[in-house]
Amino acid sequence: MFAQTRKTADEHEQPPSHVGRGLKVTGVLDIDGDLYVAGTVSGRINAHRVVLSPESNVEGDVVANEVHLEGRFNGRIFALAVTVESSANVTGKIFHNTVSVARGARVDGRMPWRPPSYFETLTQLPETRP
Amino acid sequence: MSSMFTRNDKGPETPPAPAAKPGERTEPAPTPQATAEPVKRPLASAQPIAAASPRGVSVISRALKITGQLESSEDIQIEGEVNGDVRAAVVRVGAGAKVNGTVSGEEVELSGTIEGKIEAKKVVLTSSAHMEGDIVHQDIAIQSGAYIAGRLQPEYGKTNVQPLKAKAE
Repeated sequence: MFAQTRKTADEHEQPPSHVGRGLKVTGVLDIDGDLYVAGTVSGRINAHRVVLSPESNVEGDVVANEVHLEGRFNGRIFALAVTVESSANVTGKIFHNTVSVARGARVDGRMPWRPPSYFETLTQLPETRP
Repeated sequence: MSSMFTRNDKGPETPPAPAAKPGERTEPAPTPQATAEPVKRPLASAQPIAAASPRGVSVISRALKITGQLESSEDIQIEGEVNGDVRAAVVRVGAGAKVNGTVSGEEVELSGTIEGKIEAKKVVLTSSAHMEGDIVHQDIAIQSGAYIAGRLQPEYGKTNVQPLKAKAE
């Protein structure tokens, strides 16, 4: 729904949000678009698409349509499409509809499949982390 | 937030050029059983978000809202909304951006709105700046048109204000 507006109106003037390498964010990141993380985040990310770069270190929950995991992650991911790259190091749960894991990725945890409707109705995260 | 998922089963996907640029990414080649995928979901177009800004510089774009703390050894450019404290070497708060909290660093350039406090060695308020709160500084520049409601204290580095410990990880 926001895809067109974002692409046409914003893209040329707005740089994508970028959490740089030296940046450490504690808290909630809420964005109606794309987020590139190269730094450290602990907390929660709500976005359309998220790229967690090889240098990133993220702890907490990520809710998005699409997630690219290349760095260190500890927590839960709720996303329709998840791509775990070979450089990724994941601990936790990946709630997904489609997932791909590259050879070499380290994944420790569960990857429960959910129907698309699950993500549509995902207004509140279902269970708290142990 | 719930609305972000609503468009997914509505026919053709709106994001343009799903396959136009496969990009530089070669890794996610799911070689075995490409057919095992139940639904060909255009969402999964492995189209990377380009890291448009140079390394180290963090950009909080207009669409991004952060609740919490930001701490960086490098520069931060804020165009969105931050509820919480920001600490970095150089902080630029762009026009339209809003920060509720303390902004500290070596240099703070304000074109947007801050409700809270600025603690910086060098402070620049441009004509569109809207500052509600005190400014602790050593060196300040205020353009005509800037709004300030608060005290200016030229005491940066003299009192208990901690200088930024720059430490790249």
